[in-house]
Amino acid sequence: MNELILLWAALVAYVVAGSAAIFAVVWKRRPERFVLLLMVLGLILHTASIVVRWERLGHGPYITMFEILSSNIWSLMLAFAIAYWRLPALRATAAVVMPILFVMMGWILMTNPDEGHLPATYHTVWLFIHIGFGKVFLGATLVALGLAGVILVRPTARGQRWFGHLPASERLDDLAYRCMALGFIFESLMLVSGAIWAQDAWGRYWAWDPLETWAFLTWLVLAIALHARVTYKLSPRVGAVLVVAVFVIAFLTFFGVPFISTSAHKGAV
Amino acid sequence: MNGISGKALAKRILDSTGSSKLTLALLALLGVGVAIDYLSEAHVVWWLTIPLAACACNLVAAIATNGVFRSQLPLLVFHLALLALIVLLAAGQLTHLKGKAEVVEGGTFEGDLVDIEAGPWHINRLKQVRFINEGFSVDYAPGLRRGATRNRLRYLDEDGIGRQMEIGDNQPLVLHGYRFYTSFNKGFAPMFLWHRKGAAQAMTGAVHLPTYPLREYEQARKWTIPDTGSPAWVMLQFDEVVIDPEKADRFKLPKDHTVVLRVGDRRWELRPGESAELPGGRLEYDGLRGWMGYTVFYDWTIPWLLAACLTAVGALGAHFWVKLRAKPW
Repeated sequence: MNELILLWAALVAYVVAGSAAIFAVVWKRRPERFVLLLMVLGLILHTASIVVRWERLGHGPYITMFEILSSNIWSLMLAFAIAYWRLPALRATAAVVMPILFVMMGWILMTNPDEGHLPATYHTVWLFIHIGFGKVFLGATLVALGLAGVILVRPTARGQRWFGHLPASERLDDLAYRCMALGFIFESLMLVSGAIWAQDAWGRYWAWDPLETWAFLTWLVLAIALHARVTYKLSPRVGAVLVVAVFVIAFLTFFGVPFISTSAHKGAV
Repeated sequence: MNGISGKALAKRILDSTGSSKLTLALLALLGVGVAIDYLSEAHVVWWLTIPLAACACNLVAAIATNGVFRSQLPLLVFHLALLALIVLLAAGQLTHLKGKAEVVEGGTFEGDLVDIEAGPWHINRLKQVRFINEGFSVDYAPGLRRGATRNRLRYLDEDGIGRQMEIGDNQPLVLHGYRFYTSFNKGFAPMFLWHRKGAAQAMTGAVHLPTYPLREYEQARKWTIPDTGSPAWVMLQFDEVVIDPEKADRFKLPKDHTVVLRVGDRRWELRPGESAELPGGRLEYDGLRGWMGYTVFYDWTIPWLLAACLTAVGALGAHFWVKLRAKPW
């Protein structure tokens, strides 16, 4: 019960932080320090929630939908908080990023917090390495998505009002590209570490199971996006559309496929 | 004139083949191939092979013609590593082997697999592999959720030295390049001794009943009596709860059981030590053991694939490090 109370407190802190960030964009206020403090408070509470549950169950948050949502909200919030702190140019992108996290927070409130069974094949350090790389990838992609969202919304009257004071779209596009480059490296590492884990967990390093297939497709779309930038000298708007495409496929891979697939990758059987 | 135009033509072809616009099209084609293979029930290897081969050609041509690779070494290394990956994957597919084996407790693996899938250039050295299954345990959490598997094996290593090890989840036995992993398939094996009339020694036979507890209510199978070729049918009967679903438990043999044996229109219910008289001899039921199923995998390219992957990622990191630090974040 304590873990749920801590989680809900964390979600409240996140929602207040996110709402303040959106308020800052819409009403041209700048409570950035307040937003950052609330994000950090939320992260501390959330970390405590995850630790309490881990201690109780004897395993980390990577089995049930509830646990996967919780750990990803944590890692995505951490990634965005770091970017928010270190890159003032992208603070206004919280207006794009936080609603996505709100959706995930709403989702977790509707999922069953009961514990799941830790499959025997999950008792390996490669689990942590694989998941860790995946979280950095998704975090980098989320930050890029925030920048892409601003680029896409900006041409509208409202977008100009909200985001007109930010650096030029070319600069934001460059930042998004850097995040995608970082994401590409870490997604590659995620695939490699996943294959190492799979070899000894299931006796083969790659079997095109649904999760592997979607993860590879995500990597491929990211490779196409990065290649297209170099080949065609894409405009910031087109680059932003590609970022959105990568995020959508990555989101489906992380949060959709594991829960409609019953393959061994889930640890089933 | 013809020589010059030939050279110019070759250069034009090479430039076109190495075009980065073609790269995009081929990457998209690969994605389509992956999606088709994923969605179709019949997994046809050409959906992936053709796009990958085309990507490899495009990559070779690009490396040969695009000046950016000469000026950015990490980028070149990354793409060479990708090329190495494609070549290694192809080599692995041609020489790999996948299969399954089942070995009864106390029994020896002698090179026989079921469900074999092997590349056309695989050189089968399974007959060099020998190990004895010295017993296994499988934990279960409440709700019949499988936990840790531990299987003790005795084997001769590649230097001919006798060794013992325990394999299980994430821990295979590796001999002569073949990797043996325990699987979720395991079950009961009634053991029989066939005493042929006039023979000095009895022949042993094991009946590997369907996997337990997955096929809990199907503990029967057809069997061929060794040395005779006669068909028989064997069923294991027991009333006790072998793995308690209400608490943490382990896979174990039922203590109190009988084995139903049918040969032709004759039927026996046997306990350990009891026999059935058959034409040509006596079939004695020797007792119950467990059998463990193994997944077998061979692919010599694995360490090279890992090296190529790590080289690719390292080079990619170096490339972006140099490129992105030129301008501040």
